[in-house]
Amino acid sequence: MNGNEYMKAANRFWMKCLAVFLIPAVFYSCEDVINPKLENAEPILVVDAWINNLPDSQKIYLTRTQPYFEHVLPPGVSGATVTITDEHGTVYNFTEKNPGEYFWAPAGNTVFGEVGLKYSLTIQVAGETFAAESKMGRVPPVDSITFYMEKGNQFIDDLYLAEFWSTDPEEPGDSYWIKTFKNGLWLNKPSEILTAYDAGFSKGSSFGGVQFIAPIRRGINPFDTDENDRLLSPYQVGDSVYVQIHAISEASFNFLNEVAIQTNRPGGFGELFSTPLANVSTNIRNTAAGGSKVVGFFNVGAVSGLGRKFNSLDDLAEN
Amino acid sequence: MRSFLLFILLLPFGLMAQNRATLSGYIKDSANGEALIGATVYIRSLATGATTNVYGFYSLTLDPGEYEVSFSYVGYTTRVKTISLKENTRLDLELEVEGRQLEEVVVSSEKEEQGTKSLAMSVNRLDIKTITRIPAFMGEADVIKSLQQLPGVTTVGEGASGFNVRGGSVGQNLILLDEATVYNSSHLLGFFSVFNPDAVKDTKLYKGAIPAQFGGRLASLLDVRMKEGNNKRHEVNGGIGSIFSRASVEGPLFDGGGSFIVAGRRSYADILARPFVDILNEGAALNFYDLTGKANYNINARNRIFVSGYTGRDKFFFDKQQGFSWGNNTGTIRWNKIFNDRLFTNFSTIFSKYDYALQFGNTERDNFRWKSSVQNITFKPAFSYFINTSNELSFGAEANYYSFEPANAYGTSNGTRIDIGLPEKYNLETALYLGNNQKLSSTVAVEYGIRYSNFMAFGSGSQYAYNDTIPGTRRTPVAEKTFARGERMITYHNFEPRFSIKAELNDVSSVKASYTRMSQYVHLISNTTASNPLDVWTPSTNNIKPETGNQYAVGYFRDLGEDRAYEFSVEAYYRSTENQIDYIDGADLLINQYLEGDLLSGIGRAYGMELYLQKKVGKLTGWIAYTLARTELKVNGINNNEWYAARYDQAHNLKLSGFYDISKRWSASANFTFVSGTPATFPTSRYVVQGILIPYNAQDSRNNVRLPAYHRLDVSFRLEGKTVKANGKPRRNTDYWVFGVYNLYGRRNPFSIYFTQGSDRVAQGSPINSEARQLSIIGTIVPSVSYNFKF
Repeated sequence: MNGNEYMKAANRFWMKCLAVFLIPAVFYSCEDVINPKLENAEPILVVDAWINNLPDSQKIYLTRTQPYFEHVLPPGVSGATVTITDEHGTVYNFTEKNPGEYFWAPAGNTVFGEVGLKYSLTIQVAGETFAAESKMGRVPPVDSITFYMEKGNQFIDDLYLAEFWSTDPEEPGDSYWIKTFKNGLWLNKPSEILTAYDAGFSKGSSFGGVQFIAPIRRGINPFDTDENDRLLSPYQVGDSVYVQIHAISEASFNFLNEVAIQTNRPGGFGELFSTPLANVSTNIRNTAAGGSKVVGFFNVGAVSGLGRKFNSLDDLAEN
Repeated sequence: MRSFLLFILLLPFGLMAQNRATLSGYIKDSANGEALIGATVYIRSLATGATTNVYGFYSLTLDPGEYEVSFSYVGYTTRVKTISLKENTRLDLELEVEGRQLEEVVVSSEKEEQGTKSLAMSVNRLDIKTITRIPAFMGEADVIKSLQQLPGVTTVGEGASGFNVRGGSVGQNLILLDEATVYNSSHLLGFFSVFNPDAVKDTKLYKGAIPAQFGGRLASLLDVRMKEGNNKRHEVNGGIGSIFSRASVEGPLFDGGGSFIVAGRRSYADILARPFVDILNEGAALNFYDLTGKANYNINARNRIFVSGYTGRDKFFFDKQQGFSWGNNTGTIRWNKIFNDRLFTNFSTIFSKYDYALQFGNTERDNFRWKSSVQNITFKPAFSYFINTSNELSFGAEANYYSFEPANAYGTSNGTRIDIGLPEKYNLETALYLGNNQKLSSTVAVEYGIRYSNFMAFGSGSQYAYNDTIPGTRRTPVAEKTFARGERMITYHNFEPRFSIKAELNDVSSVKASYTRMSQYVHLISNTTASNPLDVWTPSTNNIKPETGNQYAVGYFRDLGEDRAYEFSVEAYYRSTENQIDYIDGADLLINQYLEGDLLSGIGRAYGMELYLQKKVGKLTGWIAYTLARTELKVNGINNNEWYAARYDQAHNLKLSGFYDISKRWSASANFTFVSGTPATFPTSRYVVQGILIPYNAQDSRNNVRLPAYHRLDVSFRLEGKTVKANGKPRRNTDYWVFGVYNLYGRRNPFSIYFTQGSDRVAQGSPINSEARQLSIIGTIVPSVSYNFKF
């Protein structure tokens, strides 16, 4: 279990405990949205290059950093030369369709890449060259998806939850990003970032070659609240759920965990458990020492997926 | 080493004087037999004297003759006795509490003034009477919250465990409860401390000038001594408050040959909620309790035995299987032996354990269980040799055997159980010390000493070598060396000199200076905003070097006013530290076999000035404490390797505490706190990767901004119960009510400001909102009422 998962879990417990037990202190805490003045900073290049082997066109986004409170889409970086080269020398040229959006489309029924090969990303823009490497990782198939019910109590209604079943392959060292789509909508809140190292949460926990542990299998449930802050059931009859397992490199795994630590800030007493704001890592580098800075990430990985519709309460499995 | 021991053993004999007689004994409270710590025995004709030690013992060696000796203690009536000293004389004495507190206290000229005349500097003492009068959160008198009213003591905010002293981190305070280490001093995160005020007699905080007898932490020593219990009659104390209810029983044992006290507290929010909350009946729990006990027995005039212990626990369980809990357990057995009238010894055997457990998953097929603990067993012989009125020699040793259990953990995934625990670690920390408290003249006194400390790690276990630090990157192990059970893995040792001097300038003022070197071999690993109960203690290894620190302090002390009603002091300190621990970004501190790879090491510096003005007598008493300070760290891989302010750095820290007696039954207290904002790291920019908004700090700086200032006013009123019954007879029982308001003007003091994308789900391709949120842990006024009784 890594610090972030622990933080999330501990915070969840705090919230539950405090809400349930009506401990007076919780009513004394409060939060205000404020507008502090922030230091100015020069924009730098942002690379968002996550490539997979789905039979879709692959996209690489080049943007620039914005002032923190600028609530518009980040500006695209046009006119770059973007290529990916595999270890055999095959070159994939990405062409700009919209400003800052670079595409490569597979021909016919083919997909991008091959599991186990190393890929190099090269971006040439405004006289500078940026590079990154990634190896395409493997993924296990999603075997099945089940639904189960958690009986409610006086504070929470009955909840219908989903669980996916998949077994991490034998040899250790695989990492995954599990993405969930509810009725076609990607669950992309910072609190919904779900990663696995082998079948567990972290490298140190050494769960390998077994079914993903329960908090991961059940990490595909959105916990949203209604306008009265009442917890909504993650799924209801008629909803569909689609689970994708993306292979990611260990560097990408660390990156996503850092991103979760920096972005999943539920507030409240969870702040007692939070760590200082810090920049997350990047695997993109400027090939010239002393050149301009760059952030973002490059990952190439295989994907597996499975969907299921919650047709009726007869679909419920034993919890 | 051998010559050092020889020196210790022979020194007393070399200094022994001929044909002198010793006056020694215990000074106690006449009402309950409690030993008085720091009471003064003064011989006017010689202008010399002694003070009692923590067991109430004093010893004065003089030329034979007739002396007028005064025995005094603040708040007690001074007793003067004429003693014809021909041979060694034992004189145990009891002092009586002065009359009603409303009467003006007349300070007699013989009385030694604590501040200016004593050698001690950088020390704050709070007796339990003062602690119970300071307005407290939820009306619960609290030792650690009270300490935070003193100069040089800070906290990062409400809800944070522990406290910070002169730029030290929470884990750099040595907290002793009857000599047993308390690893986590907090209940309910940091809202309350583990010390039950009903069982506490005396608290003393050393912020510097720590005597050679103590060591093991860099920043401070908080020495909490428990009551011994009333040896005259049975007494019951109790209280009903908003959070806790408390009860304690004390009384004589063996016909007054001993006494005991047992004190307990428990929170009862869950008991009150039980009829309304079903899940409480299904295994859920939210409570905390503690039980403190102590007993002592006088074997004879020269031998006395004390046994004391503490157990406490916080429990947060959502159902029977899921939740977490933590707690301390301590036990101390002490044997006071007076070898002769001048050689006082104490042998302590101490046990202390801190543990926590965290568990998830409510089925047998899928669950996660994690326990972690740290414990130590200590043997500590301590000798005080009262050579003459000018020299008090102290020497002794300490052996501390630690076992660390970082993770006893397993997880079960769909029926397959996997052990994810980490191996235990075993360590031995030993120390020898020698110190002398010497009066050079009637106005100049020095205390000097040296402590030699040694730390060893034993197998079985593994030692790892890591690759070099690349800023911001996790180090990975490159080599492993395994050790057999009992095999020595590493040894560290340090010499820690201590020195302090006092020079009286005149009858009312003095200057003092001190130098203290400390080393710390066990470390609190915490990278969160506030220290919290699940932080891990870890020993020094080949990769984690012992922390060391030097502190230099100077001070000026002065009594003011006609009857010395005021005491003023100013102290300045400078502290430099080495091998300070910090963390890589995204560090994984829990259940991580390669934890050391996520740690960074650096240096620290802290300096400041503390002003203190206290009014000690009259209807209005209280103090003003102001601290101007700076605390910085410099760590490779953080803040571009430049100095940065520590999380608990606060430039200005102003505390006002006042107590006013309104009438015979009503009294009022108030305290005001103003603290400049603690540092925080703000982003400059934002960017989006895979639909997630990521904050970015273009300068890659740490703690680049300050939160707004923190200020708060608390007041409380105390109503004493009637002292006479309706029929005019005096009541045997006493009771009082305390009505309090915390944060009177309801300021929303910031605990933190954090940056986040809005809480709504954002459709792909849409711009993402970002905002800054300021969290106040206590953002409203908090009233409280409590009822306290004694019979």
